[in-house]
Amino acid sequence: MTIRFLPTAARGLVSVAGLAGRPVRNPAGAEIGRAVDVVVRWDGAPYPPVTGVVARVGRRRAFVPADALSGLDADGVDLSSARLSLTDFERRDGELLLLADVVDHQMVDVDGVRVIRASDLYLARVGAWRLVGVDVGLQTLARRLGPARWRGRPTPGRVIDWAAIQPFGGPGPIRLRRTNQELHRLRPAELADLLEDLGRRERDALLGALGPETAADALEEMDAAELGVLLRETPAADAAPLVAEMEPDEAAEALRSLTEEDRSGILAAMPAGDAERLRGLLAHPEGTAGGLMTTVLVTAGTDETVAGVRDRLRSEVEHREEIDAVLVVDGQGRLIDDVSLFELLLAAPDARLGDLVAPPWPVVVDAGAPFEDVVDRLIDNRRSSLVVVDGRRRPIGRILADDVVDALVPGRGRRHFPRLLA
Amino acid sequence: MSAAAPEVRRRRNRLLVLLGIFGPGLIAANAGNDAGGILTYASAGSQFAYRTLFAMVLVTVGLVVVQEMSARLGAHTGEGLVSLIREQFPLRMAAFAVAALVVANLGLVVSEFAGIGAAMEIFGISRYLSVPLAAVGIWAAVVFGSYRYVERVFLLLSLVFVAYPVAAVLGHPDWATVGRQTAWPHFTAAHGFVLLVVALIGTTITPYMQLYQAASVADRGAGPADLRTIRIDAVAGAIFADLVSMCIIIATAAALGGHGPLASAQDAARALRPAAGSAASGLFAVGLLGASALAAAVVPLSTAYALAEAVGVERSVSRRFSEAPLFLGLFTVQVAVGGLVALVPGNLVALLVDMQVLNGAVAPVFLGFILVLANRRSVLGEAANGPRFRVVAAVCVAAVAGMALLVLLQTVGAWTGLAS
Repeated sequence: MTIRFLPTAARGLVSVAGLAGRPVRNPAGAEIGRAVDVVVRWDGAPYPPVTGVVARVGRRRAFVPADALSGLDADGVDLSSARLSLTDFERRDGELLLLADVVDHQMVDVDGVRVIRASDLYLARVGAWRLVGVDVGLQTLARRLGPARWRGRPTPGRVIDWAAIQPFGGPGPIRLRRTNQELHRLRPAELADLLEDLGRRERDALLGALGPETAADALEEMDAAELGVLLRETPAADAAPLVAEMEPDEAAEALRSLTEEDRSGILAAMPAGDAERLRGLLAHPEGTAGGLMTTVLVTAGTDETVAGVRDRLRSEVEHREEIDAVLVVDGQGRLIDDVSLFELLLAAPDARLGDLVAPPWPVVVDAGAPFEDVVDRLIDNRRSSLVVVDGRRRPIGRILADDVVDALVPGRGRRHFPRLLA
Repeated sequence: MSAAAPEVRRRRNRLLVLLGIFGPGLIAANAGNDAGGILTYASAGSQFAYRTLFAMVLVTVGLVVVQEMSARLGAHTGEGLVSLIREQFPLRMAAFAVAALVVANLGLVVSEFAGIGAAMEIFGISRYLSVPLAAVGIWAAVVFGSYRYVERVFLLLSLVFVAYPVAAVLGHPDWATVGRQTAWPHFTAAHGFVLLVVALIGTTITPYMQLYQAASVADRGAGPADLRTIRIDAVAGAIFADLVSMCIIIATAAALGGHGPLASAQDAARALRPAAGSAASGLFAVGLLGASALAAAVVPLSTAYALAEAVGVERSVSRRFSEAPLFLGLFTVQVAVGGLVALVPGNLVALLVDMQVLNGAVAPVFLGFILVLANRRSVLGEAANGPRFRVVAAVCVAAVAGMALLVLLQTVGAWTGLAS
């Protein structure tokens, strides 16, 4: 956790929205221009330092560096020196314009795990001037609509410490230079909620910052309709690595909701092996056992030792949520038994898999079995998964109970305006 | 939540994907043919026969331009118009845009309830009974969640109005006059005519339609790559919607053209006689009821959503209304106000047309914002309005604004006794 000093600093807060249009004065107190924006350098440190103020002087947009400022408050900006070399403002790498890029824009409150829109931002003097908080209050909006003398008065009723904020910002496609480290501690389902709530630009930036592996975990948790929208609007070259990282059954499910064109575009941009596996899954009609299964399987012969199988499982740790048992097959690859991880844990390390073969026998379905049969078999047998076999009883996939639950529960997406109507 | 779903739902999803690219423009533009639209077009036909047809051609050009810009904004930014306005304009200007939107939509809600009252009066049921019942019923259906089913019924009922093009043909209008009035530029500055043209603008180019167009394009994941399809859809939708509108004018003009302003919905129904015979008034009432009730729920929802979007809590209107007090409150207030105003004694059709005039007067504000957004390269990049499109779009917005101003001046003039 980062140190939160916002409450103690509340007295000295300066409203950024209130600074817009306030006078910029020289040491003699004479107005030389008007404040336009506040610039901070955003390098991932919790409280970004103010690097300067953009001011309109005559017809120019001039940059006043932070070391030339002696005062910054609701009344305006005071300069420390009468001599000021006015340089035209140019955005440098890593700089955010608080009024243009951040106020009124979306950002993520990592502590609260929600997407917010900033009503105002607060600066405080902590050594240097720094950005310390975000205001999300409704009354703050009202204050900004009110007369000028209200505008600069901080109303820190609902302020979130900047240390908990992941901002986006900057013109054009956003590339996050640094991400809030706390973001990486969120659960995939929490990230999925955030991704669903962000606008397109912000969402793409967040996905890019998370990296394909974390991002793919989050995508798996997204509402099916939302995920479809995301994949449709992401260029195939960017979408492919994400889909390749997803669990095969989830990836196939997501690809199914796309048009043929979008689907083949994504598959073509993917490593050949991943694409082949997905094409195989997609060949099974939806609504059948084959269309629901994952192809992540661990199979073992009857002669393999428990210790050997445990070693193999170690390398499959990224699929830990898909694997709940090890399939024991005979010389022709036909299914003999499904040994649960629990049985494997209790067995002696030098025992052979053949020794563990015993009732209850695995519950199997054909790849072509309709969804209703899958549900019935699962309910009848109370297993955590079913094995999907081909015509010669060779295992080709597994259906996990949680995927069946997902399929049974109707979508609970949020209400988008267009969907209010359809 | 992304695992396989039962087959039926999936198949529907896939259909939605297709419709998503081809549909929003059609749906958005045709939302203009609601209760207010139908009675305003009917009024135009009744009062001025075919004379408003040329104005409708101009309105169509405006609608095409505006819907296309909205679709482009939605596809390129993936955002709703209101959040774009909040991000791109100073807060005070954004608040002004939202205020205009709220006024326009509130006017629409009033007219939808007036439409319900007018439809039920055809069946001989007093509006003092039908309007309050409808308001409570619609409110309850939305809040308690059965609205989706009710909606299908309303949608089905409003399909009755496909009878208009049939009636327009069977009613033997004077096609020579129709052709001349459509193609030949003409305009009268008479107050009644200007007022009706503004009402036509207001009912055809409604802010709510632009919101829907942009949001549905964005919501369905259509991106810059789909721009061609989206444009075709937006333009075709706008043109189709206005062809239907013009059929309403023609059918009504053929049946009762030149008889002065529409006195009641019963009169308007006479235009359907060539197609429906003695069933015309019943059919008309059913259609009007369906269209009004549909929009009476959807328009307040869209206002509430737009406000939530402006404030930045749109994502929390999710899931259940009961978890979103702000959203629910806004919806309730609008339904209540709409229902109450529709109960004020007077001619319902006149009230309804007045509400479209209000919409037409407010329309330029929202259109101006859309124009500025679509001009900005910082928003749309390469897809921003080109120099020629800029001029065309600016002329459209200016024309709408000019008409609104003219009505305002004439109205103020009438009050102060300076003009007739």
